Amino acid sequence: MSLDTILKKLSVRSPWLFRINAGSCNGCDVELATTACIPRYDVERFGCRYCGSPRHADIVLITGPLTTKVCDRVLRVWHDIPEPKVTVAVGICPISGGVFREGYSIKGPIDRYIPVDVNVPGCPPRPQAILESVVLARSIWLKKLGLEA
Amino acid sequence: MTDTLLGILHMSIFPGGVFALALGFFFKGLDRRLEARLQRRVGPPLIQPWLDAAKLLTKETMIPKTACRQAFLLAPVFGFTGMAVCAAFIPIAGVYNGLFNMGDLLVIFYLLPIPAMAIMLGGSASSSPFGAIGFSREMLMMLAYETPLLMILLSVAMLVGKGLAGGEWGAEFSLLKIVAWQQENGSLGLNPSMIPAFIAYLIFLPGTMGVPPFDIPEAETEIIEGPLLEYGGPLLALFQITSALKTFVVLGLGVALFFPGVISAWWPINLLWFILKCLVLMVVSLTLVKSATGRFRIDQAFRFYITVPVALALCSLILVWVM
Repeated sequence: MSLDTILKKLSVRSPWLFRINAGSCNGCDVELATTACIPRYDVERFGCRYCGSPRHADIVLITGPLTTKVCDRVLRVWHDIPEPKVTVAVGICPISGGVFREGYSIKGPIDRYIPVDVNVPGCPPRPQAILESVVLARSIWLKKLGLEA
Repeated sequence: MTDTLLGILHMSIFPGGVFALALGFFFKGLDRRLEARLQRRVGPPLIQPWLDAAKLLTKETMIPKTACRQAFLLAPVFGFTGMAVCAAFIPIAGVYNGLFNMGDLLVIFYLLPIPAMAIMLGGSASSSPFGAIGFSREMLMMLAYETPLLMILLSVAMLVGKGLAGGEWGAEFSLLKIVAWQQENGSLGLNPSMIPAFIAYLIFLPGTMGVPPFDIPEAETEIIEGPLLEYGGPLLALFQITSALKTFVVLGLGVALFFPGVISAWWPINLLWFILKCLVLMVVSLTLVKSATGRFRIDQAFRFYITVPVALALCSLILVWVM
């Protein structure tokens, strides 16, 4: 195994998470905070860290139905995240629009604009489901690096 | 010629460079793990800082179009070099005597703020408004915590200088002589006139390491990591390596100044003893504080630093003068 492969294999054990709120009602955001703040669901045990800057992010967690106002900003922030990145859509809103579906101000679903790797349905999803999505995102990240999980 | 080579070896392998990095990453991993355990979480594995660094090396580097390119790229290298050199000046009692033994305390005092300056340089070169806010906060914090540090170093130097000169006035700025004097006359951390200075040093540590409640320049919830906002990939890894080296330097300096005792004539035991003392220092002044506090505002932190630790260090200075 070359040094490069070893580094890549080790790298997925340090996924830094970044949250984008695309017009969410904050329900999913509270659940995301739960995974970090409540000892029972501790997301840090996978080596995760919620980071403040999109430049540091590896896994993007997007919540909300992508409203007209926020669409452009979400896309700009998403393009600021360095490759390789994995996108996770948290909650039913980014998947289908949820209760906001077909609203006048909704531009979603989100995969019209951004390739989504993992969907976490739920309104809001359970913290366990979010943790599972992070673990799944790690194996997708490994595939993106050209290695088998 | 051999001296130069030996100096480079000390800066790159032991105790600077590789050794300091390994120890610093070990401290950082243990710190995160302990913090998690104190909050009843599981916490990341001990090797997490290594994994983070490995990850950052595989990521792409993005340089903002509006940034000042040279300064942006050079800032992390500048900070890293400063700390790698500074680590070579830290004596490990019974193992290593420091790079040279004349006035090295002053050299350390000048080298210590270099990582903070690198963060300031990088932040202002990144052309991000958050970087500018982080720059001004880092600057204020530096002014606030360097003042008590200078007074602590001065009180230690004066006490040892007085002891060496047999009660006459004098100041001793050689760290090696300070360590040697303490091995004959007892640790300064147990000396009643030095206890306030030791407490002031404990307060100085979280400020200089930028951990809660003093992580104001890189507050990720307010100014999204401030000066480090635009950094990513290998450059950010270099900042983390610098921070690990700085952990080694400030803890090692604390041990050398206040508790440099040795327990054996065999060097590996002394090395382990040194690491153990560093760990205790870290748990008391960084981990416990960090896991239990939020974040100060910049004005609160500034006022705190120029009153409490300065007053404590002043106490020590006066006690040294009186006794």
